[in-house]
Amino acid sequence: MQRVEDPRLLAGRGRFVDDVAFPGMLHAAFVRSPHAHARIVSVDASAALAVDGVLAVYTAKDVDWLAPLVSSGPMRDDVCVQSRTPLAASTARHVGDPVAVVVARSPYLAEDGRDLVDVEWDALPPVVDPLQALEPDSPLVDEELGTNNICHAEQSAGDVDAAFADADYVTSIRFHSGRSTAAPIEGRGVVAEYEDRGGGRYNIYSSTQMPHLLRMFIAPVLGVPAGRVTIKAPDVGGAFGLKCTVFPEDIVIPAVARLSGHPVKWIEDRWENLAAGVHSKDMVCTMEIAAKADGTMTAFRGRFVTDSGAYSSVPFSPLVDSQVAGVYLSSCYDVQNVAYSIDNPLTNKCQIGAVRGVGWVPGQLAREVAIDRLARTMGKDPVELRLQNMIGPEVYTTPFGQTYDGGSYAAALEQARDAVDYAEFRQRQLRAREDGRYLGVGFSPFVEPTGWASASAAAGGMPIPFFDTASVTVETDGSVTVTTGLHSDGQGHETTLAQVTADELGVAMDSVRIVYGDTDSSVFGMGTYASRSAVLGFGSIRESAGQVRDRLTRIAASLLEADPSDIDLVDGVARVKGVPDKSVPLQQIALFGYFGGTARPDDIQRDGLTATAGYDPGETYANGCAAAVVEVDVETGLVTIEQLAAVEDCGVVLNPTIVKGQVAGAIANGIGIALLEELAYEDNGEFISGNLINYLYPSTTEVPSLTLHSIETPSAVSAGGVKGVGEAGTIAAPAAIVNAITDALSPFGITIEKTPVTPEYLRQLLRAADHDRNKLVGA
Amino acid sequence: MDSRLGSVAVEIIVNGEKRAAVAEPRMLLSDFLRHGLGLTGTHVGCEQGVCGACTVLIDGQPARSCLTFAVQVEGAQVETVEGMAKAGELSDIQQAYRSAHGLQCGFCTPGFLASTQALLQENPDPTDEQIREYLSGNVCRCTGYQGIVAAVRSAADARKASSHGS
Repeated sequence: MQRVEDPRLLAGRGRFVDDVAFPGMLHAAFVRSPHAHARIVSVDASAALAVDGVLAVYTAKDVDWLAPLVSSGPMRDDVCVQSRTPLAASTARHVGDPVAVVVARSPYLAEDGRDLVDVEWDALPPVVDPLQALEPDSPLVDEELGTNNICHAEQSAGDVDAAFADADYVTSIRFHSGRSTAAPIEGRGVVAEYEDRGGGRYNIYSSTQMPHLLRMFIAPVLGVPAGRVTIKAPDVGGAFGLKCTVFPEDIVIPAVARLSGHPVKWIEDRWENLAAGVHSKDMVCTMEIAAKADGTMTAFRGRFVTDSGAYSSVPFSPLVDSQVAGVYLSSCYDVQNVAYSIDNPLTNKCQIGAVRGVGWVPGQLAREVAIDRLARTMGKDPVELRLQNMIGPEVYTTPFGQTYDGGSYAAALEQARDAVDYAEFRQRQLRAREDGRYLGVGFSPFVEPTGWASASAAAGGMPIPFFDTASVTVETDGSVTVTTGLHSDGQGHETTLAQVTADELGVAMDSVRIVYGDTDSSVFGMGTYASRSAVLGFGSIRESAGQVRDRLTRIAASLLEADPSDIDLVDGVARVKGVPDKSVPLQQIALFGYFGGTARPDDIQRDGLTATAGYDPGETYANGCAAAVVEVDVETGLVTIEQLAAVEDCGVVLNPTIVKGQVAGAIANGIGIALLEELAYEDNGEFISGNLINYLYPSTTEVPSLTLHSIETPSAVSAGGVKGVGEAGTIAAPAAIVNAITDALSPFGITIEKTPVTPEYLRQLLRAADHDRNKLVGA
Repeated sequence: MDSRLGSVAVEIIVNGEKRAAVAEPRMLLSDFLRHGLGLTGTHVGCEQGVCGACTVLIDGQPARSCLTFAVQVEGAQVETVEGMAKAGELSDIQQAYRSAHGLQCGFCTPGFLASTQALLQENPDPTDEQIREYLSGNVCRCTGYQGIVAAVRSAADARKASSHGS
């Protein structure tokens, strides 16, 4: 099936936020802090304002009528509430923190002005190390909070201490999951106009994944009711979670549109995207496993410290990383004694937000790297050890109370093992070593909550109600219009959602139009992130389309003088079962539905052919496994991925092409996390990864041809058995790659303790291993 | 567009049509195309010459329009994504990207299409390794490149088949 959205995107006729223009529109550029932590002494805009074409420079004082942007995080008592002004008023807290905005006739002039704004700074000691930030004598990132720790939480189930006391083997690792981000090829962008009508209203184009939630969060900061803010999210050039955050710029640009009396556009540049968007996955993890002599794993204990950056991000807070690393600790393993603790220290770095794979990635790394370590310690095969401890395929409740809806946990691992010819590989590995070549294999089976809704969020310790609605209308001519609050930034919702609507109503797919991305024309929805849209979109459309279908069937039955239970609606025609010549086209049914007067059933006279319904499913969990085969050049430290196999079980697949595309893209992201992507800060908090020469994306030469397999275990709880996909490969791939590298280098006995595993880092480990070996030989 | 450093008229031949607009000497070709001429199909991803989203063909050669000043291409032939589809029909390369799911969000796609067009002109029958090598200057964050490599392969194969057939 070819995608509906492709022709416009291929022809260069997409409309992205930077393609939007208003008459008289001005352009904005932000003045940002070059310091990690500094007091703003003064801002002198006179030189900037002297430039022809620079119209205004606004600081926090000019927008002091805005309410603060408040991060309350998930609805939990143990999470600090943090407030910030959209422009830093007295203190800048990370490199890139916005302190002023220049508005000018062109983007070039706005940047000229930006460079001429003279800010006098008083540098303060930066908080850079997340563990030191937790010490009582640490300087505070935000004095108002009185602490650096946004949240400390602990949870345990079973008797973890007893299990460790009784263990025959205890494995303990420390792992630092590196700081990476989404870095979509299209950065952020906002175009806003203020209309002095209806008491004043904002019309905003934004590159966002969640138009309705963005409106809900920014309207109170702008001081207007939500109904006076329209958010339009046009084509979005990739998002990966970055764009389900509410940013200061989302508020400042509408505010200065109001102040300047002109529409204002701000298009982020790449440095801003890397320095001042959201960062992700920077977590110091410790992971301990208790096991019996026969290989039974009896307890997991984890500690997860998220280097949270300077602000608790809105709406998800840094718990989107730490909490989910902890609460899903038992994953696909039958381990009943489980404990974790999380900390979320603020530091003078960019805030942590929700980026593809979120804290599942560090959690998966810590657990799966530790399991491989345990296997080596015990002399057991890592695949066998995992299979021995795996839960069964049936519905299963974890020690922390998540209820999995059935999955192919062992089968996925077995299929991944077979996909890399595991037994044969071990022979090949031995032969290669004789030639001085170092090959390795690694596995990473996973479970992830997908159709993020109220139940799954609560089970994950993020107890915010999440649901979605869809509205389905059969128009007077029988064509179909669907509106949804979900958004599409590459996932192809115009295709998949049209396809499921067409199936539900028995109409041709090209008669269905999907409307989204505009708070004025779409029903309320929570947006697209957390691999949730297939489940929520399908469920809400099936419910609303089902109601419309019922009405169409009853009209057709009355027109055909048949019983509704005998009506089939297929290919836009209603027929009486077994009587091929008794039929009526949908167009005629629809027309009757609108204009059939009192001959129509009462509910159709009242509701017409529109139905709106919500959906809030039970917990859905996808599972799968990644397997990586790598070769490490021990002279250079370069890792080459020879094969990457992934088995994905996302329940019933709605569109196999799109699912495969999601899995492949997520794996590429996982390869980046494992080997390349690192947002680095100097010890003084200076940010040094502000361009794509230092922040490396995987390209065609780093991502191999992937081996992709699929298993379909229908969800026991969701509409149609759908589970959802999007993040899987990003969660699974890094641990598989790290385990493969460790396996390749097992003759050297090295221990990988961080990502990304760069050539430089590997050479350092290999040099140290050589050094140790020489010492042994010398002794 | 408003200017601080004075402006010059720039005339280029875009997709076969002579176009002219006023530009500051420092104006990037990407901005000139997008905002001067309204050809918003060319996208800007990094302005650092790394991501390749802004790739266009200048006198047949792929080039980063974000690293090129508009004034540098005075009189040159520039091909952008808007010139690829003829009379509303996607080109064979565009259609191959569609069939092989070689795009998701579509933001990097115009740059990939330009590079693919140049590759197949230089080397009508590339190996998968040559495809990967040639396209390594374009990054895509969505697809993991599987559909992209398949699209280029199938476009090359289809051209080969049709030239053998004729």
